[in-house]
Amino acid sequence: MLSLFCSPVAYIVIFGFLLITGILVWVTQSFEPGKPATLRNVFQWTPFVLTVILPAIAMRSISEEYRSGTIESVATAPVSDFEFVLGKYLAVFFFYLIMLLGTVAYLLLMMYFGNPDVGASVSAYIGLIMLGMFFSAFGVFASSLTNNQIVAWMIGAVPLLLLTTLAYWVVSSTSGIAREIAQQVNFMGRFENFARGSVSLEGLAFFLAASLFFVFLAVKVVESRRWR
Amino acid sequence: MIEVRNLSKSYGSYHAVQGVSFSVNAGEIIGFLGPNGAGKTTTIRILTCYHPATAGEARVAGFDVFSQSMKVRESVGYLPESVPLYPEMRVEEYLHFRGRLRGMSGGDRKAAIGRVAERCWIRDVIRRPISHLSKGYRQRVGLADALLHNPKVLILDEPTVGLDPTQIRETRSLIRELAQDHTVMLSSHILPEVQATCQRLVIINKGKIVASGTPTELRDRVGGSSRLIAEIRGPENDVAAALRALPQVQNVQTRFENGWTTAQINSPADVREALFSLCVSRSWALRELRREGASLEDFFVKIVAGMDAAAA
Repeated sequence: MLSLFCSPVAYIVIFGFLLITGILVWVTQSFEPGKPATLRNVFQWTPFVLTVILPAIAMRSISEEYRSGTIESVATAPVSDFEFVLGKYLAVFFFYLIMLLGTVAYLLLMMYFGNPDVGASVSAYIGLIMLGMFFSAFGVFASSLTNNQIVAWMIGAVPLLLLTTLAYWVVSSTSGIAREIAQQVNFMGRFENFARGSVSLEGLAFFLAASLFFVFLAVKVVESRRWR
Repeated sequence: MIEVRNLSKSYGSYHAVQGVSFSVNAGEIIGFLGPNGAGKTTTIRILTCYHPATAGEARVAGFDVFSQSMKVRESVGYLPESVPLYPEMRVEEYLHFRGRLRGMSGGDRKAAIGRVAERCWIRDVIRRPISHLSKGYRQRVGLADALLHNPKVLILDEPTVGLDPTQIRETRSLIRELAQDHTVMLSSHILPEVQATCQRLVIINKGKIVASGTPTELRDRVGGSSRLIAEIRGPENDVAAALRALPQVQNVQTRFENGWTTAQINSPADVREALFSLCVSRSWALRELRREGASLEDFFVKIVAGMDAAAA
């Protein structure tokens, strides 16, 4: 399942991600003398990058199996559809974790040159891991819907990007129960709590549940293919 | 080993397979024959647990394909028609990956890969990326994958499509060899293919089984009568009349050339001895006497065409 590492696309994605986050570090002037040494601004922008990049990592996972017909040999091997989807999901998620590991370099540099708030950074990283966990699940779900990688990427990226950018607007423009619901599913708000340094059990539970939900949906989509 | 009863599969209003029943005994090679779109692949996919049947039941190696799907998958080696492989992997990596999917330990995998690489002649490409391999080699890698876990039942969907004549011969002999310790079911739309390898044939058309039996049985059913070709030195009319007078001869056609009469005799019985005696008694020279069995090809074409005519 970890065949992601064999593909050159993967390295381009990692390189692109590190390049963008690197530029972010520079653009947000986190290293200017006299300013507080913090990656806070970087963490604020990273989710937007992730909405595009994680569906790109995940787009191939299941749709390529459909397209090349290898789904037939996997679906007739003694592996359940749940194991199959979970394997794909974990591959995407681990790939993301390795990618994220690359950004720790910025933090280490900052620790060398300044004195950042390590606690807040660790919390922000937990937030990024949680967010990535959820985005991976959504990306894999998008990939299970189609046998075209590009379509899979768009199904994955567009809703995530919209939700990320419109999250606050939706919360502020609604009222009553709608607002309550919007606030609950506002994953950006939840991520920002992490970025601000507050790790809550509620937040962890939310991301875990959301990820499980989309992995479950992907399993159902793969299963439903058998009946068609 | 394989037990199929009243199996049906529909896609919407299209009935790909309708009420198919057959069985395969252990150690048999069975050929699943039919024109394109007859429902071969659909049936095979039900047997390999790729998709469930709409109605009916199937058991493979004693397990139900629907309720004991995992057990069936463990005991079946399957080569899909399109031979799907991961092009970015090397042959060895791919086989290791497939072994891991089947839950084989590292040592088992090594031993198994050595064994199948030997059998399928892929020793010399084992380190090459699959994307660099020719169609023939890919086919063999697919076959090696199907054999990896030493399955009781081997199901091969059109195993020789796209191979060159030498490879076809090699694959056929490999399949025959494999039948010594596996039950093999292979599908094809080419008759000589199954005739050469299989002990029993099941002919399917338009989702229904139209005939099944050993090649000889099927040939006998074609009409029973076989054709006899004889070249006799004698006047055409005399020869024709004398041949027609032989017992059980139904039809005689003759052609005369350079003093020799070539006769084509249709008869349900074997009249070769009577014909020889006849020639001796009339002192006609006999330079050729051969029996042409009705070919299975004729039968196959007849069945398929007959069904089409009936449907039209």
